[in-house]
Amino acid sequence: MQPATTTLPSARRLSRPTREFIIETEGLGKTYGAQQALSDVSLNVPPGTIGLLGPNGAGKSTFIKCLLNLETPTTGVARVLGCDIRAAHRASRERVGYSPEQDCHISGMAGCEYVTYCGQLSGMPMRVARQRTHEILDLVGMGQERYRSVDTYSTGMRQRVKLAQALVHDPEVIFLDEPTNGLDPSGREHILSLIGSLWSDLGISVVMSSHLLRDVERVCDRVIIIGHGRVIEHDSIAALKTRYRRIVELSPSSQPERFVAALATAGAAVTTLSNGRLRVESKSESIEWILQLMRAGRLPPAEIIANPDGLHELFIQSIATSHGSQS
Amino acid sequence: MEASLDLSRWRETPRGVGYRRWTIASTGLRQLFQLRFFRILLALAWASGVALALIGFLFGQTVATGGWLETAAASIGPRAQAMAQVVGGLVTLYPDVCIGGWFTLVFWAHSHLGLWLSLFALTVMVPRLITRDRATNALTVYLSRPLTSVDYLLGKLGMIVGVLVALWTGPLLLGWFLSVVFAPDTDFIIYSFEPLLRALTFHGIALVALSAIALGVSAIGRTARNTIPIWIGLWLILGFVAETPKAPEWLQRASFTRNLTETRQGLLRLDAALITASESLPLIDAQFAENLSRAGAKARASDFDGALMSLGVFVLISSFVFTRRLRPE
Repeated sequence: MQPATTTLPSARRLSRPTREFIIETEGLGKTYGAQQALSDVSLNVPPGTIGLLGPNGAGKSTFIKCLLNLETPTTGVARVLGCDIRAAHRASRERVGYSPEQDCHISGMAGCEYVTYCGQLSGMPMRVARQRTHEILDLVGMGQERYRSVDTYSTGMRQRVKLAQALVHDPEVIFLDEPTNGLDPSGREHILSLIGSLWSDLGISVVMSSHLLRDVERVCDRVIIIGHGRVIEHDSIAALKTRYRRIVELSPSSQPERFVAALATAGAAVTTLSNGRLRVESKSESIEWILQLMRAGRLPPAEIIANPDGLHELFIQSIATSHGSQS
Repeated sequence: MEASLDLSRWRETPRGVGYRRWTIASTGLRQLFQLRFFRILLALAWASGVALALIGFLFGQTVATGGWLETAAASIGPRAQAMAQVVGGLVTLYPDVCIGGWFTLVFWAHSHLGLWLSLFALTVMVPRLITRDRATNALTVYLSRPLTSVDYLLGKLGMIVGVLVALWTGPLLLGWFLSVVFAPDTDFIIYSFEPLLRALTFHGIALVALSAIALGVSAIGRTARNTIPIWIGLWLILGFVAETPKAPEWLQRASFTRNLTETRQGLLRLDAALITASESLPLIDAQFAENLSRAGAKARASDFDGALMSLGVFVLISSFVFTRRLRPE
């Protein structure tokens, strides 16, 4: 049995020390031989739910690993929760959780034993760790499977137990690398709703790296876009959307050719998609001009979807812009 | 379905790094001692400790004035009684030679069993130290927490120390303690102390060398299929080859078991105890004295310094291997 929706009791929200920034980096860089994996990353990331986006090999995982001291930065400085990662490397990870992308567990332990052990490794007393373990395993939707050896878990269960070990010590910030990989649709829904409520209900900041832009768009309020080891964009999703071109999709009930003609006459760039929809580059944030055009041209009714894949567009455009500026 | 979960919060200051290292060591030990094989080894080890205590107790009672030997001899006749009194007299006159020599012999014998039990235990332990953690990417789990690779290694070292203490040092100390507690006088404490310290020094050196080698071997591969054969090769095959009479010196020094044997001979000084006994104890038959002297010469370390140096090299190479491999993959 697993809960489809998780509601965290907001009354129990922890009064965290109010920080302006959870991550601060200045000129952070990492090279592997001749390859520059991360270059001059300077960021001040406020608390919240942050999506980390970038194409494969962009440097997202390297960035997270540098912040966790799993990789030693070649240049620059970084502070996590106000602690310098080099000078106070143990302290910088005391209130940090990490769920890596690749499968990782400690062999020969039952799920609950493993999560308790992880809590103890973060400095929790045994009894407290055990209590939190069962609560967190309930939270991530694990039932009696928790008493089975981790080695026998399916991919989805391992994903849940990875999230549980990242949360068991009640961190202030957690780094999640592809947290929904391998989950079935209901499991994915459950985990996304849990991740979404971590900040709003518990005050735990989330830095989530994902290739699934819809997941990021759904859960995160800010994004950091990384390409070629550099930060291309860092802003709230709302602010970023206003800075790039707006896309509107139209699904006419009939006579789509009349729509195409009318929009082309109005000077809008129109593309017909394979599903019959029309993809229009909007001139403004509002769709009022399209409605006016439909009224004036006595066009049949149509479904209008503003920003259907807003983050996807944003991502593609910012990567393209970065390519252009580099060349 | 909507579920409301009551989640407690943890606001306390995290416990220190010592606690976290202890957690690694104690959890590893708990997992090990759940295995039947380890329980059997534990039973054997502590039985040897009890045997050590019994032997010590019997020795004390045998040589004590008015002890069972003297009483039994008196019932046989005055000649037997006189001979029994001579044995007691020798211990009274030469406590350093008799008591010290006796405990040296007992500790020397026990170190064979202790070392073998430890080597068997390490064969099962080696893949459970670093190998499995590398295979399951568990290093990422450890090192993304407030732990460094040194903390991780110290935790794993704690596991080896725990096993060697449980299988070797613990039974030895128990045996010695019970021997002297029930001994007829304080000479047994005074003159057994030096052999005990020598035995513990040997334990210390063996502990450092075996820990480093076990960690090094464990870090080499990602599966037990790789690491167990390497361990067995280093221990049994190389040890067997190095023991052959025509083995060159470099090959002998390449075997850590042969180096440990040499270190034991050099530290416990069984040779000195036997030769001193043959030279100083009166009323010993010339043939018996010669046998003692010959046994002493045989027990002498032939390459103590070389063995120590080789163990040092083993520790350095192993440390290099496991520190190089301790990066999350």
